[in-house]
Amino acid sequence: MRQLEILAEGQGEYHPVDPDGFRQWVRDHKKRALVPKLMTEKEAIEKFVQDGDYLVYECNYLQRGPAALIREIIRQRKKNLWLGAKFTWVAAALLVEAGCVSKMDVGFFLFGPVVEKAAKEGRIKIYEYSNVVMTNRIKAGAMGIPFIPVRSFGGTDGFKYSGAKIIRDPYTGQPTVIVPALNPDVAIIHVHQADVYGNARIFGTGISDAEAALASRKVIISAEEIVDTEEIRRNPGLTVIPYYCVDAVVHLPFGAYPGEMAGRYASDVEHVVEVVGRTMRGGLQEYLEKWVYGVESHHEMLDKLVGWRKLQQLLQRATIKEGYLP
Amino acid sequence: MIQMHPAKGEKAAYFNEREHQICVMARLIEDGKTYWVAGGGTPMASILLAKKLYAPNAVYVTEDGVLAPEPALPLDPIMTMVSSRASYRALQWGTMNSVGFHAQVGLMDYGILNTLQVDPYGNINSTLLGSYEAGEYRRFGGPGGADSIASLCWRTILMTDHQKRKFVPRVDFISSPGFLDGSPGARERAGLPRDTGPYLVLTPWALFDYEDRYLRLIGISPFVTVEQVLAEMSFRPKVAPQLLTLETPTEEELTILRTEIDPRGQVTIIGDIGRWIQRREDGTYAPAEEGRGGGNPNLPRSW
Repeated sequence: MRQLEILAEGQGEYHPVDPDGFRQWVRDHKKRALVPKLMTEKEAIEKFVQDGDYLVYECNYLQRGPAALIREIIRQRKKNLWLGAKFTWVAAALLVEAGCVSKMDVGFFLFGPVVEKAAKEGRIKIYEYSNVVMTNRIKAGAMGIPFIPVRSFGGTDGFKYSGAKIIRDPYTGQPTVIVPALNPDVAIIHVHQADVYGNARIFGTGISDAEAALASRKVIISAEEIVDTEEIRRNPGLTVIPYYCVDAVVHLPFGAYPGEMAGRYASDVEHVVEVVGRTMRGGLQEYLEKWVYGVESHHEMLDKLVGWRKLQQLLQRATIKEGYLP
Repeated sequence: MIQMHPAKGEKAAYFNEREHQICVMARLIEDGKTYWVAGGGTPMASILLAKKLYAPNAVYVTEDGVLAPEPALPLDPIMTMVSSRASYRALQWGTMNSVGFHAQVGLMDYGILNTLQVDPYGNINSTLLGSYEAGEYRRFGGPGGADSIASLCWRTILMTDHQKRKFVPRVDFISSPGFLDGSPGARERAGLPRDTGPYLVLTPWALFDYEDRYLRLIGISPFVTVEQVLAEMSFRPKVAPQLLTLETPTEEELTILRTEIDPRGQVTIIGDIGRWIQRREDGTYAPAEEGRGGGNPNLPRSW
């Protein structure tokens, strides 16, 4: 019998791997019946995001991501979150500035003084991965397995500060990198369409939306549009996320603002440039005061700070529709 | 020997180093091959220019799973991925996992990347400058997709600036693997796929390949000397016996780059574009006295 040999291992802490524990959670918490799950963003975040949770957001604050839900997490001043910071421009910095974060698994994020200061002062711990290794970890979580072999990441310094290992693969005899499966406590995902049960459609590309929905203990969907379940049944091939993964559905038109929602509205260029600049150079607190703490809800933000005229412009600038209509 | 498409037609009399680098990269793109490119910035501009002029059947994918798009240019700031314009008329819309798996099974011929630092073995740092162990460092964004590109594509091409602080004997942090310690089989011992690794490094001044897994100068731009190239590196690369000349941009290349690919100057005007170069009356090239340029400090380099 060939022994499975561990050749090297990273020293980074990782979110505990427990596929049976996850199955048990799924058995006890995920509703199999078609139960309406519509609620406000305030209710959804209050109910399903707890201090200390491991959080993944799919896509990011600027690109078809759950920007409104991220703002609500900040507004409710959640604490000690562990972020899966893959494919991130400004979201990680916003959450760190707001004091919501104590740990981050990094694939990529836009770095600036906020996170640097927090890391150097020991307020947050950073563990190193890559974007694809992070989505592969979520894929493993979605498969219900404890780890996944990957053909990248070996030989890097990131490996040393991660939960990865190199094993001698018992099938090929070759050195092979394995990384721990990731089952986040909570995933927040912004979609084009969903029904009240959580059957969700996404048009266009993505990062690991379907995998994160399947891998996470609690799943909050925000949708541009709530559609009838008859519409879902009319074209089942378009369902990217099935209802029984989903715990909450929030109707949030312009929920990706200031980012682009491909096929629906363009990004608000001035806003994007401002928040990116503040992330790189500092000044995010003022941003949060205005755009998050200064309003009660996403709808109030759209009414008071964005306005009908701007929203119309963003709709008009989204001229490409091919592929985004069911 | 490296194959390059010849630069045909009239040469431009005035251009900047960033434009020059993109035009040279475009001439290095092989037709009919797949490229996994970093979203935005010089890699994407290069492959788009190549597809217009030299390699119409070159295919590229981005990290969000866009396969072979015909993007609607220009793109809004940052909207190089998960956006309708960047992913327009693709053959498939996938995900980060799908493109990662396409590369993992060997479908990606080339990857093109940017970086902060590179060492003689092609190891790439995009994580931090300083010491991770000591906690004294200036932090950057992390590998993003670069680690997967550098691990999984058959050949990896790096585009970076020609500066002493970028070409270092040892990178401060290996974010994405090159030939690691340079010994034969080092990548395989680290679990990486066989026969992959660094292939070229292109700066505005010079082109490098690898000989026995060690960086080797093989070409230089006509507005610099070999001495200048070597002086702006913190280690001495191998030097090929005969050096290619990296032809300066043609009028046609620049016109397409400036009007179709980057009409807002997001890559070639704003930010760090190097020096402006002009052709002198004797036909030689030299830095211009006064350069245009400037930039928007609110935006990162690759957008």
